[in-house]
Amino acid sequence: MTIILYILKKIVILIIVLLITMLLTIFLLGSTIDKIMVDNIRMQVVNSLSNSLSESQKLNQFDNMEQRQKFIDQQIDLQIKSLGLDEPWYSPKKIMNTLFQILTLNLGNSRFFTTHDGSSSVNELIKEKLPNTILLFTSSSLAVVGLGIVIGSYLARREGRITDKFIAGLASLSLSVPPWWFSMIMIVVFSFFLQIFPARSTPVIPPDSPGYFASLLYHMALPFITIVLIGFASSIYYVKYIILRVIEEDYIKTLGVIGIPPRKILLKHALKNASPQLTTMLGVGLISTLGGSILIEEIFDWPGMGNLFYNAILQNDSPLIIGLVYFFTLLYLATRFVLDLALSVLDPRIRTEDN
Amino acid sequence: MVNRIILILKSYKGGILGVSLLLFLVIITFYTIINIPASERSEWNNPSYWINYPKNAAPYWTNYFMELFNQKLPEHKIFTMNDAIVRNYSEGTDYKIENSTFIYDYDFETFPPAFSIPYSIQVGDIPPAVEISVKRPDGLVFVIYYNSLESLSNGLDDTNGANEQDEIQSNGEILIESQNPTVKDDVSTNVVSQRLFSSSREITEALSDYTNLFDFSTNGLPAEKIIFSGTKSNVPLQGKYEFIFSLYSFDDNTDLKDILWIVEGKVFGVLGTDDFRRDISFGILIGTPVALLIGVTVAITSTIIGLFYGLISGYKGGRTGGFMVIIIDIFLSVPTMVLFIILSLNYGKSILFLIGLFILFGWPGLALINRTFSVQIKNYPYVEASKLMGESDFRIVIRHIVPQLIPFTLANFALSVPAAILGEAALSFLGFGDPSFPTWGQMLQDAHFSSAEILGYWWWIIPPGLMISITSMAFILIGRSLESKAKFDKRR
Repeated sequence: MTIILYILKKIVILIIVLLITMLLTIFLLGSTIDKIMVDNIRMQVVNSLSNSLSESQKLNQFDNMEQRQKFIDQQIDLQIKSLGLDEPWYSPKKIMNTLFQILTLNLGNSRFFTTHDGSSSVNELIKEKLPNTILLFTSSSLAVVGLGIVIGSYLARREGRITDKFIAGLASLSLSVPPWWFSMIMIVVFSFFLQIFPARSTPVIPPDSPGYFASLLYHMALPFITIVLIGFASSIYYVKYIILRVIEEDYIKTLGVIGIPPRKILLKHALKNASPQLTTMLGVGLISTLGGSILIEEIFDWPGMGNLFYNAILQNDSPLIIGLVYFFTLLYLATRFVLDLALSVLDPRIRTEDN
Repeated sequence: MVNRIILILKSYKGGILGVSLLLFLVIITFYTIINIPASERSEWNNPSYWINYPKNAAPYWTNYFMELFNQKLPEHKIFTMNDAIVRNYSEGTDYKIENSTFIYDYDFETFPPAFSIPYSIQVGDIPPAVEISVKRPDGLVFVIYYNSLESLSNGLDDTNGANEQDEIQSNGEILIESQNPTVKDDVSTNVVSQRLFSSSREITEALSDYTNLFDFSTNGLPAEKIIFSGTKSNVPLQGKYEFIFSLYSFDDNTDLKDILWIVEGKVFGVLGTDDFRRDISFGILIGTPVALLIGVTVAITSTIIGLFYGLISGYKGGRTGGFMVIIIDIFLSVPTMVLFIILSLNYGKSILFLIGLFILFGWPGLALINRTFSVQIKNYPYVEASKLMGESDFRIVIRHIVPQLIPFTLANFALSVPAAILGEAALSFLGFGDPSFPTWGQMLQDAHFSSAEILGYWWWIIPPGLMISITSMAFILIGRSLESKAKFDKRR
């Protein structure tokens, strides 16, 4: 029963956060969206008027320019009313309407950006970019944690003072270095001076050509290496810390006394008991890289969501910004939720801790 | 007290390093505040302030490394009026010539990237004429510019327009030049100021007369690559160059007010310059106080809020406490980076807004830590005893729980400074920085916008990021030491 309550509580919090974020986004961008829509309507009305009428009709239909303007305004008002744009963006009805549209993934069209196929639908755009973001950040986070577990548990068994200090120092260093600045340095070193990797990570060949995936992987190499380099020291440090704490526990010490080889203790018992903390580490790593992805993708020009987000901000493409905020928040909250779920399965103590 | 601190630091070497890094930053801060007045600090984004500086110049000490490869990059050279050798000739009574000669011993293997000659002349009744010529080490004399200022004062707009257009065509990225009209005519004192660029059309046209002196085609070469070139092949000719600025004046009121001869270099200053000709060391200096201000303000405020929020929610417990924890949970589940960007889109570009934002999302984590502690301390026997003695909740919190938490709070304070500094840098990098407070993040944004990492301008990228890292590092090291000290004391 407690586990269901625990999960329910988490879900409620996540939904609250999602709603708050989206409401805030609507509050901040709502007025601009309305303005864009009204502008579109105005253009449509004027265009349809001048297209549908021949020269002579244009002259005959209206006595003067004033009348023509009046007619146009009327048409615009009519359309605005039918779309509910006459109400200010902060009217509750309107907000609920917009919120509903967002939650049902009715995100509209981007103003400036198109997919490779030429579609400007926000959904299509995100569908195109999302896999790239997941590919880069999941693989690199897994690599960071994997490296951490292998090297960290190795170092936990033999506590050498020099390597310990070195790793601790490196971990502090990697926490204080801005990852996006490090990315710029990596580009200077590997693309400008050594010329091993391309500076721009978007493959030059189109996505439907045969060698695309290989090219994508080649272009991914530099961002991947960068993220791993930034994360690995802290990862090793924490794994070592976690495992050392588990090893100190009495039940592990007992295993050593009854003659089970240390290697087996480490792999079979210590790692298993450290799994909740290790999972947390992976989750926190994923979550923190997700926020940083906006900067890192932009610097490497990796064709992912973060890069799209950055460019949408530069161009002030409100529909796209709203869509991306929604997906980013969703992705972030989903990661957190999976993490919480995994933790409560791995470590039953967590569920009751709060109460 | 001081002895105790020294003792503490001795046992934590990281802490010593942290404190010395912090000291370094504080020294820079004081140096900046004393030596660079606020008015000058705001010149960072003003292109005309930096017009006499070279563009994309590396730090001068790169030449020490280049010497290992037997190369040397040209240095930035500014000749002022004091460096000029002035000779006056007068021919007859109706006109006289004033020659200002600058001598430049050019001994670099590469061409200078550009040169420019800003000058201002007080014009009398009759407009004077200006001639600029170069006497090269091989004896050749090039007249690179001739203009009677009559045409300047008559067709001011005309010349100006042509000049500017030419700038844009020849360089393609004349951001600074085109913003500053090359000709300024001050009517009141009748002083004509002009800035002549090596890329201007007049110079290029004048140089086309000397094409036959060279064994190679000078077509399309920029002026500096012709003037400083040997005649056999297009490599720099080393030796003494004489730049002669001649002013032909026809009345007594005409006078050369000011002149500079700027031969741009590829190395300049301790840290070089950026694409907008700004001195990077200047940016590094003025960024220090801002970073410290943001970091410390945010950290102090969010530590205090976090301390009391955590205390109250932990001490109260029950339903109120639970509700307070849920609020913390909500804050901690927010995707901060995305939210920061959304908020900055509307309210950004103000330093106060940024500080408020980091405080708003900085305290919940600290509150959670403090809550855990206060739950522990609440159940200590002496707290329960004082409760039985009838002390008020407020007194118990202030007298018994807060003192226990102070060591950890100090550590938390130090550890939350880097978050604010890194956050400000990231948001500045995204373009939400406060333009009236130039920061390191904004420098990196400019660098990224100018594709500095692809063009290899490492001197533009490394220093700001290094300063961000040093500042974060200092506080992390101090925080870690304080933390382990607090843990050690607690165990005792």
